[in-house]
Amino acid sequence: MPVKTFVVTSQWDTALPEDWRARLTRLLGERPRRLDLWAELGLFGALSCLEGAGEASLPGDAVIMVTSRRGTHTSTRAAMAQMEHDLPMPLTFLQSQPNQLLAHLAARTHWRGYACFLGGTSRLNSLYLAAQLAGSGGVLFGELDDTDGAVTRWLRLRPCHTDRGDLIDVAPEALFSTELSCLGIGAGGLVGC
Amino acid sequence: MTAVAIAGRGLACALGLDLASAVAALRTGAGVPQKRLLRGGLGGEFPYCAIPLREPHWNRRAREIVMRVAEEAGARNAVDGVLFVATSSYDIGAAENTAEDAALGDYPSFADRLRGWLGWRGPVYLINTGCTSGLNALLAAHALLSGHEAEEALVLGVELENRLTLTGFAAMQLLSRSACKPFGAHRDGLVLGEAVAALRLSARAGSRWQLMGGASLVDGSQPTGQSGPAIVDMYQRALSASGFAASGVDLIKVQAAGGITSDRTEAEALRESFARVPALVSLKAALGHAMGASGVAEVALLSACLECGAWPTYSDAVDTGLGVELAVAPPAGVRRLLATILGFGGSHATVAIECR
Repeated sequence: MPVKTFVVTSQWDTALPEDWRARLTRLLGERPRRLDLWAELGLFGALSCLEGAGEASLPGDAVIMVTSRRGTHTSTRAAMAQMEHDLPMPLTFLQSQPNQLLAHLAARTHWRGYACFLGGTSRLNSLYLAAQLAGSGGVLFGELDDTDGAVTRWLRLRPCHTDRGDLIDVAPEALFSTELSCLGIGAGGLVGC
Repeated sequence: MTAVAIAGRGLACALGLDLASAVAALRTGAGVPQKRLLRGGLGGEFPYCAIPLREPHWNRRAREIVMRVAEEAGARNAVDGVLFVATSSYDIGAAENTAEDAALGDYPSFADRLRGWLGWRGPVYLINTGCTSGLNALLAAHALLSGHEAEEALVLGVELENRLTLTGFAAMQLLSRSACKPFGAHRDGLVLGEAVAALRLSARAGSRWQLMGGASLVDGSQPTGQSGPAIVDMYQRALSASGFAASGVDLIKVQAAGGITSDRTEAEALRESFARVPALVSLKAALGHAMGASGVAEVALLSACLECGAWPTYSDAVDTGLGVELAVAPPAGVRRLLATILGFGGSHATVAIECR
């Protein structure tokens, strides 16, 4: 199976701490404004993951890939409720667009590059596409949902070359729960060590 | 700079239910936008470029249009390949007509429906980067095919009528109440439209149209608009990725959706990016802005226009203060072109296409 290999420089899959909003404020350097819960969760997880990797920004040829089962469902529902009586509020409509998170993330990291939102695509396929698109700057990969319990899981991957023969199969479900130090991503699945 | 063939294309839009009808309507100036009445203080009547197919049931209408367009693009030759669906609104139009919360934003369910309609056997990706979704899907497909990870892909732009998009843009006061006037002296906003479009990319079929790559950039400095420096950066990266020289670009399909500020930003960035700005064309007055489907729809229509000499007309004179012009006829001998979509969310994308 041809794979692209990466060093896992940071993982973020911690249960959401009680003080996560205070910690988000610290990461942003100010209280979050004009963001819905979905985007706040995304920024919190992504910036925490980058902090874990010792990065304040990303290389210009890195790829940000965000995937979600239901995306901005909560804000979309709110905008639809508003438009029953009038036009939706502009901010609510903006918050219903998943790519607003990508813009906020780019702004907060002073970064400009390729970023993409994938709705409802499997973890393996999403990672696989990110790996194919990534340059030498690697991938910041996130899974994000604000329904059915808040989820914000992130991985920072930097490309590497390895001739190690001890890579083992990694189940997609174990991606964030395993202490992976390297990850090989191919169309047929994941391997790692 | 690996070439990937654009081996098939299909389009349903306000101009017609297939590409030949759309080109014919473009020639005759048919396809006049309909009107949509929106409630509220900032509401009123707005032009809207609707696909001329009446069917009250959203899913039945979507199914018919998607299947027609996919068939036109030759999708049956690619069903074991990769399907990229580019959309910013998914099936919100269906959810607006039901009280069931479960119907809203269930992306896997929407992907499964499309998979079933098309008899698709390969992987399916739903890409949403707003207005640039279609071009980002093309770039993703190009990466897989040029990297020999897949042999066939179908990029399907799906943007069908829904009240959320229309009312949201009206609330942001981005819509024209008269007409889309690309780079126009009297431009006053966008006209939205719906489109379903498909481009079949192939590593094994031949075609005169080759996708050479491109560039897509998110820039957070203007979360609701576009950034001049990001546009310049985008063109530089696209030229580098495609192997095109700036002086060798014969034509650029610009965004030029008729926004007062956004058209000015785009024009300034074009002048900065190209010592001699190539011939420019905008298809927004003909199609409306079809959001996530616009990139795919406009590449399909433009390539067909260049083959037969059809060309869009514009209702308004170009704003001379912008320092750019729109070509009034198809330029002769177009070999290398760029197709650009700029959107809110700080998204900027362009693809490089070569005609052989």
